[in-house]
Amino acid sequence: MSSTAAPARREFDIDRIFLGLCLVVPLAALAIFFAYPLATVFLRSITQQDGNIGVANYIQILNAPSFWRATINSLVMSLATTIAALACGLVVAYAVHRCRVPGRALLIGAVSLPLLAPSLVQGLGLIFLLGRNGILTKATGLEINIYGFWGLLIANGLYALPQAVLIIGAALRAADARIYEAAEILGTSGFRQFIDITLPNIKFGLLSAGFIIFTVTITDFGNAATIGGDYAILATEIYNQVVGQMNFNLGAVVGILLLFPTVIAFYLERVASQRQFGSVSDSAVPLVPVFTPRRDVVMTVAAWLVALLPIVTVVIVVYGSFVWLWPYRFDLTLRHYAVKVAGGYDPLWTTVQISVIAGVIGTALLFTLGIAMQHLPRAAAKPIYFICLLPAAVPGLVLGLAYIFAFNNPILPVYVLYGTATLLAICNVTHYWTQGFLTTMTGLRQVPPTLEETASCLGASQPRLLRDVIVPYMAPTLVSVFFFMFMRSMVTLSAVIFLVTASVSVVSVSIMRLDEAGFTSQAAAYATCTMAIVVAASLLMRASLWLLKRKG
Amino acid sequence: MRFWNAFALSLLLTGTAHAGTVTAYTALEEDEIAEYTAAAKKALPDVELKVLRLSTGDLGARILAEASNPQHDVIWGWAVTNMMDPRILNLLEPYKAKGVDKLAQPYHAADDKWFAATGYMAAFCVNNERVKAKGLPVPKDWADLLDPKFKGEVVMPNPVSSGTGYLQVVGILQQMGEEKGWKFLKDLDANVAQYIKSGSRPCKAARAGEFAVGTSLAFAGIQSVAEGFPVTMVIPASGAGYELEASALMKTSKNPADAKKFLDWTLSNDAAGIYGKYKEIVTTAGYKPGEVSIKAGLPEDVTKVLLPIDFAKSAKERDAILERWQKEIGR
Repeated sequence: MSSTAAPARREFDIDRIFLGLCLVVPLAALAIFFAYPLATVFLRSITQQDGNIGVANYIQILNAPSFWRATINSLVMSLATTIAALACGLVVAYAVHRCRVPGRALLIGAVSLPLLAPSLVQGLGLIFLLGRNGILTKATGLEINIYGFWGLLIANGLYALPQAVLIIGAALRAADARIYEAAEILGTSGFRQFIDITLPNIKFGLLSAGFIIFTVTITDFGNAATIGGDYAILATEIYNQVVGQMNFNLGAVVGILLLFPTVIAFYLERVASQRQFGSVSDSAVPLVPVFTPRRDVVMTVAAWLVALLPIVTVVIVVYGSFVWLWPYRFDLTLRHYAVKVAGGYDPLWTTVQISVIAGVIGTALLFTLGIAMQHLPRAAAKPIYFICLLPAAVPGLVLGLAYIFAFNNPILPVYVLYGTATLLAICNVTHYWTQGFLTTMTGLRQVPPTLEETASCLGASQPRLLRDVIVPYMAPTLVSVFFFMFMRSMVTLSAVIFLVTASVSVVSVSIMRLDEAGFTSQAAAYATCTMAIVVAASLLMRASLWLLKRKG
Repeated sequence: MRFWNAFALSLLLTGTAHAGTVTAYTALEEDEIAEYTAAAKKALPDVELKVLRLSTGDLGARILAEASNPQHDVIWGWAVTNMMDPRILNLLEPYKAKGVDKLAQPYHAADDKWFAATGYMAAFCVNNERVKAKGLPVPKDWADLLDPKFKGEVVMPNPVSSGTGYLQVVGILQQMGEEKGWKFLKDLDANVAQYIKSGSRPCKAARAGEFAVGTSLAFAGIQSVAEGFPVTMVIPASGAGYELEASALMKTSKNPADAKKFLDWTLSNDAAGIYGKYKEIVTTAGYKPGEVSIKAGLPEDVTKVLLPIDFAKSAKERDAILERWQKEIGR
């Protein structure tokens, strides 16, 4: 900690300028790369067929029965996914952070698999397993119908789970052992401790996680397309309008309407989180869980049961990539690894670069914005907070198209970026902004305020405070955010499909092309290579984090 | 160091066109593109060909979204029904490619805005094992699929999102006439397990044994048979609906001279020699399909099994047909 002689005068100006920059740079980025493209979508939605401005498009959509059916389906699906993923996410996060369960890193890795797997993998894995000709279906002799509500719920749940674990985990990491000791002395049972101490403390994390799951589920398209069958949802409705009928304006209407459930979810979350939530004091003693057989055995079994599904789904696709002809000839072969797609494995390296850029830009912007927001009055922070939650509500498809409308214009200075890897990276940062933002904020809330005050009383300037106090405290969260951005950029498809060019392409597009061309096993092979790279990157990062910890 | 230089360079990687570069947007299939571009490179050594491949629907969205500042020189092999959208036609420059005059009338536009060297047609992929296990007959024509035994065993592409789905619907409507056609589609709906979003997926679902019959593309069927799946490709006995893969020059092309050279090449004998490997329909007169296709059950003269499709009509009625389909059948 900084204990050097304190300068008599506090460095107001440096602090001001520093915090100002922390606020302005991320907000400017959001304005250019999120608000402006979204405005072009809005403009499209109110441009009528005759070229005039008006609400005719909205009336047409609101009068279509298919829209309401899709809306109800979307709401039901998102609520069900939220409940299921929150429950499972809490089990896993609690087991990892508050219990002594074997293989904690493995558990986290297992539930993270869907995040690092290209979207095709989940649908494919579930079909390989539970499809009408799937392994489990054949083994049990049951006619399971995976296409539709249940398949979609499982696929969405798998995808939402790691995001839930990430955010709930950030909340659970902070705990004051003294409170639990006190409860122990007072004879409070473990269960009551959980209900009365743990739950209120992580309420903010739970609400944030719930909000994120709801929003990403309602905007997801990939799972609905692979395994949703005829279960129509709003994102597929947009796809039908835009890609099927080439009607951007009606698609834009649905895109804009999709913001509403998110706004409502946001409002509910805010109302609920108005009530106080625990924050950690400076003298908090980190909680080291002791082995409690009754709790830990149950939690081990429960957490590993949850983790089993993502493991099996991914493993079966990896296995499928080595099989001669799924599901008819099971001899092993490497033939699918000689991919026929144009450009071969080149997009893999381009994607790694894009993902690193996205990770760096995203983490830097989110962290500085978070720091700045902590120093803003509540009234000013609130609207920014709201804006930061909106990106999750925009389906990738809409975002990608919006980027074309917004940036394919030679008059604009940003046009230099059009068609570049950098724009792809920026698009990914925008697309996953909300998740990163919530994780950062949850992490920042857990830097004890008194620690900061002490340092600043001792005369540490803001930049110094950041370096010596906040960053070390936040390192695990920052690494999580970086890694989240990196992973998602490696595999995301829906937005970037509109931004790839003849020379700059990414992995997920190659995988989709292979799958479309009928080379499913090659697509699985390509996906396997991608996952191998992400896993290797993740191990590297964990190792660096571990070194960082040891040094500190 | 070199890595970092390359890295820095890649930050600004663009499809910048230098002289001799032709950028093509295409919906042709992945493996054929690789072979065509290799051949084109040999025939046109000073043209650098850059290709962006997207599915028919995605490509349409992309072209229209970029319409204010198109990034490509030519459209290469894209569904003619989509090409005939007035918003697309507006972007095209009439060009009479070398060899167009040898094409039959339905295969090129009267105003020379597009021509089609190849095409694809509807066909069923029937999974032999599933048909046997379920005790089903092998369907020979669309009407056979009405048999209640097929309930829940037929998958079709969704015409709203898939060009293949639309060509199947149009084929049925133009063959049977409005009234009978719609009635047929509704009757068929009772047996359809699901409407899948892309045109080749029904075949993939059938070949994986998920369903007995996938109404799909002949090419998907041929490919599945060649790969060794237990699949029979069936061309509807009363005739198959089809789609042309049209090519065109963009008004905004920055390199029209080379773009035209490339378009000429797509109609050359050189190119036609390769088409046979991948295409069920090649418009060049006197063409014979490749061995793999014949083995899978494609007739020697494909034109005999094609329905007389009116593309101008199917393009014009597209919105109305899809709206009605969504209202009366869509799920």
